[in-house]
Amino acid sequence: MARKTPRKSKPRSRKRSASKRPGFVRRLLPYLLLLGCIAAAVLAAYMLYLDSEVRAQFEGTRWTLPAKVYATPQELYAGLDLSRDQLRGRLARQGYRASSDLSKSGTYRATGNRLDIHTRAFDFWDGKQAAREIRLRFNNSGVSSLEAIDDGDDLALLRLDPLLIGSIYPAQGEDRILIKLGEIPPMLPAGLITVEDRDFMNHWGVSLKSIARAAWANIQAGRVVQGGSTITQQLVKNFYLNNRQTLARKAKEALMAVLLDAHYSKPEILEAYLNEVYLGQDGSRAIHGFGLASYFYFQKPIQELQPNEIALLVAMVKGPNYYNPRRHPERARTRRDLVLNMFHDAGFLNDAAWREAKESDLGVSANSTRTSSQYPAFIDLVQRQLKGQYKDSDLTEEGLRIFTTLDPTVQASAEERVANGLDRVESERGIEADSLQAAAVVTSVEGGRVLAVVGGRDSGYAGFNRALDARRPIGSLIKPVVYLTALKQPSKYSAITPLDDSPLAVKLPNGDTWRPQNYSKRSHGDAVPLHYALTHSYNLATARLALDVGIPNVIDTLKKLGYPEDPLAVPSLALGAVDMAPLQVAQIYNTLAAGGYRTPLLAIRDVTTRTGEPLQRYPLQLERAIDNGPVHIVDWIMQRVARHGTGASAYNILPNSLDVAGKTGTTDELRDSWFAGFAANRLAVVWVGRDDNKPADLTGSTGALQLWARIMADIEPRSLIDAPPENVIEVPLRLRSGSSSARGCGDTTPVPFMRGHVPDGLSSCDSDIMQENVRRRQQEEQDEGNWLQRLFR
Amino acid sequence: MIKQSVILVAVLVLAGCAATQRTSFPPPDTGPPQPPTQPPPEQQPQPGEQPGDQPDDSTEPSEPPPSVRQPPEEMPPRSAAEASSPAVMSLLGRSETLARSGRMGMAAATLERALDLEPRNAFVYQRLASVRLAQGQASQAEAMARKSNSVAGNNPFVRADNWGLIAEARRTAGDNGGAEEATARADDYRSTSARMTQ
Repeated sequence: MARKTPRKSKPRSRKRSASKRPGFVRRLLPYLLLLGCIAAAVLAAYMLYLDSEVRAQFEGTRWTLPAKVYATPQELYAGLDLSRDQLRGRLARQGYRASSDLSKSGTYRATGNRLDIHTRAFDFWDGKQAAREIRLRFNNSGVSSLEAIDDGDDLALLRLDPLLIGSIYPAQGEDRILIKLGEIPPMLPAGLITVEDRDFMNHWGVSLKSIARAAWANIQAGRVVQGGSTITQQLVKNFYLNNRQTLARKAKEALMAVLLDAHYSKPEILEAYLNEVYLGQDGSRAIHGFGLASYFYFQKPIQELQPNEIALLVAMVKGPNYYNPRRHPERARTRRDLVLNMFHDAGFLNDAAWREAKESDLGVSANSTRTSSQYPAFIDLVQRQLKGQYKDSDLTEEGLRIFTTLDPTVQASAEERVANGLDRVESERGIEADSLQAAAVVTSVEGGRVLAVVGGRDSGYAGFNRALDARRPIGSLIKPVVYLTALKQPSKYSAITPLDDSPLAVKLPNGDTWRPQNYSKRSHGDAVPLHYALTHSYNLATARLALDVGIPNVIDTLKKLGYPEDPLAVPSLALGAVDMAPLQVAQIYNTLAAGGYRTPLLAIRDVTTRTGEPLQRYPLQLERAIDNGPVHIVDWIMQRVARHGTGASAYNILPNSLDVAGKTGTTDELRDSWFAGFAANRLAVVWVGRDDNKPADLTGSTGALQLWARIMADIEPRSLIDAPPENVIEVPLRLRSGSSSARGCGDTTPVPFMRGHVPDGLSSCDSDIMQENVRRRQQEEQDEGNWLQRLFR
Repeated sequence: MIKQSVILVAVLVLAGCAATQRTSFPPPDTGPPQPPTQPPPEQQPQPGEQPGDQPDDSTEPSEPPPSVRQPPEEMPPRSAAEASSPAVMSLLGRSETLARSGRMGMAAATLERALDLEPRNAFVYQRLASVRLAQGQASQAEAMARKSNSVAGNNPFVRADNWGLIAEARRTAGDNGGAEEATARADDYRSTSARMTQ
């Protein structure tokens, strides 16, 4: 408005000439007045329109909030088998910082065998947990005691706040965590004002002073080097307008900024800005607001940010991608230090704190340096389990909180072991580098919780999720299912039933003939003990057994164990001619590992609203799918697979004292390499192969098992417990172990049998080959006869 | 409605019993209590058992093992307190409080948290069975009780209570024959445990 006045008064000469014709001006004046009135009315109407737009947006739901996904929290208690260093690593990953005075939450202090932690408050699905100061003591086996320092009480257990592992954000990709002005370190808003808009507290939404300053700077530079936008204008630009740089848009922006400033207080505008501002990119996900940026760059809540971290975030406002501290650390550091100088000049930092902050490194958390979100394969599973239960908009807009079963430590081990393991296998076996792919799933056995999902070699890449979507023939992984089907008929089959491993040919309905072969291309005779045939994964014996029990019965067992589909009832199913994804295999083996109790594998435990109201639980569901007696016998044989059979190389890596069970799987022409196996508390399934389905030149044991054993060694496995269920008894037998056929009762192994179904004529110290026992008894009878004859001769 | 309240009362009585047991710990004659973090002792292969001497049986044993020949110092845990860590005990306490105030879903969730800590604790599965029963989920209650049996080793105290719960669950589901059978098994285990405590 102010500018128009001089312009009006400019044409003085014309005024003079017009005065010669006073009637003309007098006649024109009403029209001019009318025109002015119309213009004013139009402007007023436009202002009213803008005003309603400004207010509607500002007072309504300003932002949609993507659902937040959390990992399972670390439980702390006396007896936890976690070393002090492991726990420190976990704290560091969650942005806890070492501090000698422990005065703020999110800090810890390590001295001697102690670890003191000032935990963070957190709203769990079952209620709020306040911040606590606690002390943990450690011994060789882990946490030996837990107490509260704040009130000196004994504390039975406490959860750490869970790691935020991702968001479910909409297609356009805006993600944020809302913060309130009152809960953030005061240095952040004050510093932001100092750097971005010094006059913020005084101007009316636009600042002529800064426009002039910017104009002057631009004129001097001969190009646009500085913007004169206030924080209010920047907010308006992000909030209401698109990104086009036109003069009209600039004017509209200024008008709206003035309106915004007139309607709302400075703190309200500042808070909106802090939540709106764009601070980085994570693949297709845009990081908005300081609340999320704090997690994205430092893995911690905004309350805990240190001066150097605050300065970095403020520095990045100018250009989040240009000053990306992960991609351009030097640029980011230079600008951060500049901002720290401004903080110092403004008096926010004393000399000591200023120097300390400048000396600190950027402090950006290392574990999210990838370009996409941290656990894409796991979050993919979470989204699939949520599908059908929530609308997409519920997930992307309502700020739901999703508590999952992911164990970040297990996930980290699995990812690392998959990536390193493939490198190792390739180099050791002379396989072309980077030609192999892999997938892994880890579960908790009891409770069926999915602890980790690795979807491929580059686990940070959100591409093809092999753990869920790569369906490959499972090969010999099916064999325990075949043997379990047989052992469910205890009157016909036991662990030592002799199986026929001689060649067979089956005429198929389509006229073809199916001729399975052993891996060694040799037959092992017609009386291989059942347990031995599974331990060494004999194809011929297994094919004959499956045909004896009936392929439909094998399918029935497979479905009871948790396979949801209907495989083709063909003889080759006996040797694994059915395609499954690693997660499906994990479901089946989890039922085997849990004593025949089937629990649907779950990645989610609870969903709450934004404010913590429980919305949905995913309770533990158990089904007694298969009697635990036969399952126990199959598990016993799978322990022998790991000790003596195709899986024996596991013990090159695992400690000898650890009892695990498992099974290798290899498919035609060595295309797929599988291992599925478990300890008492951990189950892992690993697949290795090629995406193009060409031969990988790996068996189950040379490929997947090598990765499996290393994952297992890392994730605190507990030894399997051998106690047989009520309906199983154990008979000590001498087992065929290849070479030794020593007589007498020396080296025996307890062999499980269904109660009431121990084969006739078997007694302790017998062999697992019935004919040998018969021969031995005949020999003994003869000997006895000779002895009697001698006596009475 | 009446049925549900009967079950609720039964559960509360059971929970009450368990609580009493816990507070009356340690048991009078079994020597020092076991370290709380250890799992319950597992079933050992029974000495002197001759293979092949068992009557022919279906896959599901219709009778419990006739006697448990364990010396008194191997007395299996009778209450959760004897077999659970302080951490699990605190969760059991919390879930009991929740169950008493009728917040069964939360009570169950708290028990699941206890299972994360001790996945083979028969007492936790047992409490979960009683909470499921109170929620009217008979088949889940039975499954939990049977799972409790499967991790209870040779513990007649736990098994007796589990079969009691299974009987309740079957009655709720209208299976009176099955309920009677379960009750009979509960009684068998009770007499076994009575013999042990003599």
